[in-house]
Amino acid sequence: MMDSPSYMLSKIAEKDNLTVYELFFGPNHPGMHGNFGYVLEMIGTEIVKVRPNAGHLHRGFEKLMEQKLWVQNIALVPRICVADPDPNEVAYCTAIEKILRVDIPDRAKFLRTITLEMSRLSSFLMGMGALAAAVGLYTAMNIMTADRDLILDLFEWLTGARVYHMFSIPGGVRNDLADGFVERLYKVLDHLEKRLIEYDKLLFENPIIHKRLKGLGYVSKEDAVKYGLTGPNLRASGNPYDVRVDDPYAAYPYLDVRVITQEGGDALTRAIQIRLEFEETINLIRRALKTMPEGEIRLNLGNLSALKVPKGEAYAKVESSKGEFGYYVVSDGGMKPYRVAVRGPSLPAGLLLAQKHLPKMKIDDVAAWMASLAICPPDIDK
Amino acid sequence: MKLDKESIIELLNQKGVEVLDLYPNQISVNIKKDNLLNHLVFLRSIGFDHLSFINAVDFIDEGEFELVYHVWSYTHKIHVLNKVRISRNNPVIPTIVNLWEQAQFYEQEIHEFFGIIFEGNKDLSPLFLENWVDIPPLRKDFDTKEFSVRLFGAEIRR
Repeated sequence: MMDSPSYMLSKIAEKDNLTVYELFFGPNHPGMHGNFGYVLEMIGTEIVKVRPNAGHLHRGFEKLMEQKLWVQNIALVPRICVADPDPNEVAYCTAIEKILRVDIPDRAKFLRTITLEMSRLSSFLMGMGALAAAVGLYTAMNIMTADRDLILDLFEWLTGARVYHMFSIPGGVRNDLADGFVERLYKVLDHLEKRLIEYDKLLFENPIIHKRLKGLGYVSKEDAVKYGLTGPNLRASGNPYDVRVDDPYAAYPYLDVRVITQEGGDALTRAIQIRLEFEETINLIRRALKTMPEGEIRLNLGNLSALKVPKGEAYAKVESSKGEFGYYVVSDGGMKPYRVAVRGPSLPAGLLLAQKHLPKMKIDDVAAWMASLAICPPDIDK
Repeated sequence: MKLDKESIIELLNQKGVEVLDLYPNQISVNIKKDNLLNHLVFLRSIGFDHLSFINAVDFIDEGEFELVYHVWSYTHKIHVLNKVRISRNNPVIPTIVNLWEQAQFYEQEIHEFFGIIFEGNKDLSPLFLENWVDIPPLRKDFDTKEFSVRLFGAEIRR
């Protein structure tokens, strides 16, 4: 009896149950996005305690920006969020324009809006793909990655770069749409809309995702505001707030932005929220393309390399695909910023909510939980 | 009930704080260090429920740090920059973790990068930098070039 295999195993299990061990979930872990990690204290497969392990990706942008010219920083800011780079450029430029007290031409506002929404589409595709991969539905991830490439192709045509576009500059945007761009954008939008049926079949109506995500990481309506969640995470908990409507920038005052809200607040609701907003973003781009006026694409601010911004400070925020992206810019009247501080949308979820939700969770759910909250470590680390 | 910007400025003026009207939807408030908690509690009670973030600015020529508490109201649609100046020699300020829990991580970050001490915050351990030995790196007197030459023995070629 004493030396039978089952007895030995039960002894090991009993011993394991009493052992708390430390597990590094990231930076090298297939379920982790980016160079970030949680140090999990575990019993068996259950998490007991969590410690965020940030800093692997800290590139010192805020310090570096103080040493570069105003316009040189345009090359730096998109790197703060890899998946959704455009909100950074627009927020940084809007903050400068606020201090300069200038109003950019209407066409430039619309061009910024269109790039922002295209960036949102590509980020949602990446986010939905990450969620699919986290629950093992790799087919969905693969076709979403392929579809994201169509948007990146458009970005390459428009700005010359696929990921870091550096399209917005203080006073407007770098260049206008090329001939035939609008037609091709419409084609891509139609294609994506058709693909939604497939996404639904593969991912959002898939029993696996319902089983895995239902009830996971629940955030109540009050807690979502209290913890500082923004963007789709906030709206999936029943709060109808959107920076594009509440504190409009770029061309959003001229557009009819429909805010989608859902009750629920769990990971499944957040996944469906992204899917609904994806559909709405396609329609928003169509509306923006229809109402876009002709005209100038930037203000003449003189030689941008010699740009001086008067003494002052401003906070500008943009609704990115993950929530509120904000730039607080202080100028002392010189050629370089005195201070740039960045508010990334992932910090409240990635650091605070992790400590509330992860304990008692199973190790298998961590990756899906992270993907459902769209936690993007580069904007925690900066 | 939604209040417009003017009535919020008036409310704050009645409380005896100095308000600056910056941009549409954005006002700036200068507060004293001792008044910080009272002021934020008051703002929260009239509907400013979202703490966007906290950041610090090093005004080295004036010998002061400026802490900016970004607070937004979903009801009034107004963004308030609450600015507190503290001395650079004795950078101590009360924590606001009891008001907004996510302030914990902003305070940890500011402590790490500026050396500001948040009184009452139990955990000010480093979040990003491992084994940091020099002065806090986002201070204006921290020279990145001199630091890397000293630490890594890099020589500057021209």
